[in-house]
Amino acid sequence: MKTARIFLLLLILLPLSVALQDLLPSIPPAQERILLLPVIFCFGALALPLLPALFFALIVALVQGLVLLQIQSGQAEFSLIAPVVFFLSWKILLQMASEATHGMSWELHALSSALVTVTLLGGEFLILCLNRGEVPITMTVVLRTGIPSIISLLIAALLYLLLGSLVPFAPAQIQQLRLDE
Amino acid sequence: MKRIQIAILALLFAAAVALCVLGTGTLASLQSGFLEFLSPITRSGSAVKNSLGSLSKDLMTLDELQSEDTRLLAENKQLRAENNGLRDLQKDNEHLRRILGYRERSSFRLIPAVVLSHDAEAWWSTIKINRGSKDGIAPDMPVITDRGLVGKTTAVSRDMTEVMLITDENCKVAAKVEGTKEQGICAGVRAPEGELQLAFLNKLADLQPGQKVYTAGVSGGVFPSGIDLGVVKSFHARELDGEAILEPSADLGNLEEVFVITGAK
Repeated sequence: MKTARIFLLLLILLPLSVALQDLLPSIPPAQERILLLPVIFCFGALALPLLPALFFALIVALVQGLVLLQIQSGQAEFSLIAPVVFFLSWKILLQMASEATHGMSWELHALSSALVTVTLLGGEFLILCLNRGEVPITMTVVLRTGIPSIISLLIAALLYLLLGSLVPFAPAQIQQLRLDE
Repeated sequence: MKRIQIAILALLFAAAVALCVLGTGTLASLQSGFLEFLSPITRSGSAVKNSLGSLSKDLMTLDELQSEDTRLLAENKQLRAENNGLRDLQKDNEHLRRILGYRERSSFRLIPAVVLSHDAEAWWSTIKINRGSKDGIAPDMPVITDRGLVGKTTAVSRDMTEVMLITDENCKVAAKVEGTKEQGICAGVRAPEGELQLAFLNKLADLQPGQKVYTAGVSGGVFPSGIDLGVVKSFHARELDGEAILEPSADLGNLEEVFVITGAK
């Protein structure tokens, strides 16, 4: 029941996050944007059991793929393969990390959100470079990859604070045991 | 693992494979449907954002008023409020006159649209506008302001459209330089910073900062001829050609209203 509740909540949050991240202003100096989708994805990947989380990862991949889709002269520059492989791989990695750290914690969520954001942006850039040629790594590229990742880390902590009580995999006892150790 | 879990896993795998092999046409329809689904959320969010913007402006005015003399405070507040209202109206009036004048002067059939959001992608420059296929908009239509070219429409849903800005690397525009015979291809850069690159010029071209650049309007292309594109900031010769850096004429960072060109008058 709790899993279904989180799953539904995340399904509602997903389109909201996509719309909201477009409405948020860019940040100087290189007009970096705030990404909310990786934060929501990491929350779902860590909080949900394996099968619902894989299903959620697939939905996130579809949404991100459609967000990125640019059709030029009848050709799509990005197919859905890259986002599907990316989000499913990250789900499996996060599952392993969650098991290794005995459940979800705000630190794991924050760190994973930052890593997913940096690899997502870096991956998009690399695919673009492979498609269009040249790899122009400038300070703008570094800032546009790095700053959204740091912001994701901060937003993830905030989201965990708001939704943490819903997480079934982080019982207070486990947290206490880890603190005692 | 139970049988049912294995079955679900197999289904998920099949769904993932199905998503990976979708064709361009299906993806375009899915994207259009997704835009339509997002449209009410984006519109509501945009309205809330605008309201919050005006609220913060009002709070600033109140802060200023607090420092005024106590005796004149009430009267002053009223006068200021009236004055601000009139000024806003005057500004709106001038703005609308300018837009209306441009629309009437223009030799194109124009559909006015409001910018709903600037998309959050790092490597693409796109915005969303509040017009769609029900207003007669289709993919690959030029988008302009009274100052100059903005970009072209890409994904179109019933009441929302994505516009690729000219600062995007994928938005290539044939361009000509004012007062010369120089023509080239104008596009943005991979990580757009607001400037444009005009490439394939003669490497001996004598371009000076401040020279205007217009669309060249190749036949069968998206952009008609003669639309203001930008001004030359600098020029340098490369090994095989010359390249100019342009400042776009339209203020792409602060777009509020745009026009979509649907055809000639």
